[in-house]
Amino acid sequence: MAKFITIGERIHCISPTIRKAMDEKDPAPILKRAKEQIDAGATYLDVNIGPAESNGPELMTWAVKLLQENFDNVPLAFDTANMKAIEAGIQVYNRAKGKPIVNSADAGDRIEYLDLAAANDAICVALCSKAGVPSDNDERMSYMMELLERGMGLGMDPLDMWFDPLFLVIKGMQDKQMDVLEFIRQIAEQGLNSTGGLSNNSNGMPKHIRPIMDSAMVAMAMMCGLTSAIVNPCDLRLMETIKSCDIIKNNNLYADSYLEI
Amino acid sequence: MPFTPKKHGFNASVNEVTLGTGDKAVTFGGESTFPFYSFDAEAKHRPIIGAEISDLGYDDETEGYKAFFGAADVVERAKKAAAMDEVAFICLHFAAADPFGANKSTEDCIAEAKAVADAIDKPLVIMGCKNIDKDTELFTKISEALAGKNITVMSAREESYKAIGASAGLAYGQKVSAESAVDINLAKQLNVLLMQLGVSPKSMIMNLGSAAAGYGYEYVVSTMDRVRAAALGQNDTQLQMPTITPVSTETWVVKESIAEEADLPDWGPREERGIDMEVTTAAASLAAGSDAVILKHPESIRTIYAMIDSLC
Repeated sequence: MAKFITIGERIHCISPTIRKAMDEKDPAPILKRAKEQIDAGATYLDVNIGPAESNGPELMTWAVKLLQENFDNVPLAFDTANMKAIEAGIQVYNRAKGKPIVNSADAGDRIEYLDLAAANDAICVALCSKAGVPSDNDERMSYMMELLERGMGLGMDPLDMWFDPLFLVIKGMQDKQMDVLEFIRQIAEQGLNSTGGLSNNSNGMPKHIRPIMDSAMVAMAMMCGLTSAIVNPCDLRLMETIKSCDIIKNNNLYADSYLEI
Repeated sequence: MPFTPKKHGFNASVNEVTLGTGDKAVTFGGESTFPFYSFDAEAKHRPIIGAEISDLGYDDETEGYKAFFGAADVVERAKKAAAMDEVAFICLHFAAADPFGANKSTEDCIAEAKAVADAIDKPLVIMGCKNIDKDTELFTKISEALAGKNITVMSAREESYKAIGASAGLAYGQKVSAESAVDINLAKQLNVLLMQLGVSPKSMIMNLGSAAAGYGYEYVVSTMDRVRAAALGQNDTQLQMPTITPVSTETWVVKESIAEEADLPDWGPREERGIDMEVTTAAASLAAGSDAVILKHPESIRTIYAMIDSLC
């Protein structure tokens, strides 16, 4: 089995610092956040430029070049509502360290993101939802099948579709958590890949609680076969948990320094 | 229906490492398959053979060995071994340096290493006496004396990796072999520690430990096998260094290789037994994933070379 893949979520335009840096094309704050995440062990970096309606392609091109030139072609996930920006980003993207990820398609309005990924030989995060949160796993499965068929029809390798079960907030949807985990198991049983915004589960919890809850969730999800997650890699407890689970799952050979590498 | 073999390729490979300098420098490693799986992908380089020349015990060598080399002189023997086409490198073994044995001085060892390096054009590997302190001093000083020769020191161990990594690996740009005792987790850990010290993985080789066939050897096979599986299957960059296995130092000390025929007439000639032990162990090591083996007897060297030649 391959090692668990972490996608660092900290380059996000919701952060005022990053928003400002993107507006002013100021590399320093973006490079700083990229370095922190890479040093903490992130495999991929997510680049969220928001809707970026006016300057999407130009902004994404700038960000891709900036990050890959400074960090040895670090692999990236493209996260924006502007599809042209994703295409522009992929045009200048260097695949040496991994295919680009399109983040994300769903079975509803965003289904064309899958087409975009297929046309550009990219990985696609595929949310098993249409409009809002699926009510149960049957619904999740029907969306997943829809996405899988469409992607394969477009010639995609099924392993390039990373299905997102939709992690749900515990404060409010506590009774649905085991469903999410069970669905991850169903994805894994078909030999397919999975990912998702893991920290959704701890939304609204006190700051000191979140790393604990996120770590518990990732461990249980990895037990069920989760292959990747979109996370804050600067959360040390979470990263240590992922690395430890990778050892227990025999995804990585143990050495006393396993937490440092 | 005709049988169509399915190739099992890996998107990872063992590192390529170059020993020595000049025309006779040799590059080994680079495989992206299990050992000798040439039906999956062609190996970039063949496994290589080194000839061990020890500074101790010439008088106890077998008749065939003495007949080939003719004299005890280390430099002359190194030259003769290096002249064999089958030999890719010379492993100069300072067994006499052991402070609890002959306690040969570091200065004498340096002088001998220099003399051998000057006499041969093939790569030189320096093997110590297994005393950590003496070996650390030997490797450091010989690395300094032979700077620019791209020699290999074997080996850096858990207790000595800092000094040897810093001197041989960093200051003098030599190759460092990381030695662990048939323990895959420690093998990885030692590589991690050397890399954290700043030694480039391209300057590193692994000695995963060995044993003579029949002497707990199955652990050696299992370790080598799992190292290759992790290097390729998990793309584990901390285990992608090529493996070098000293064989002769293990096989020529067990009773099968030292008991005289006069004492055990049923066992037949000692020299044949010794060669058999050496060849059997070397063949198994290569089949388990060694990229290089170190042998002593010319007949073993020729036999193992023929095996590699017919499988590659």
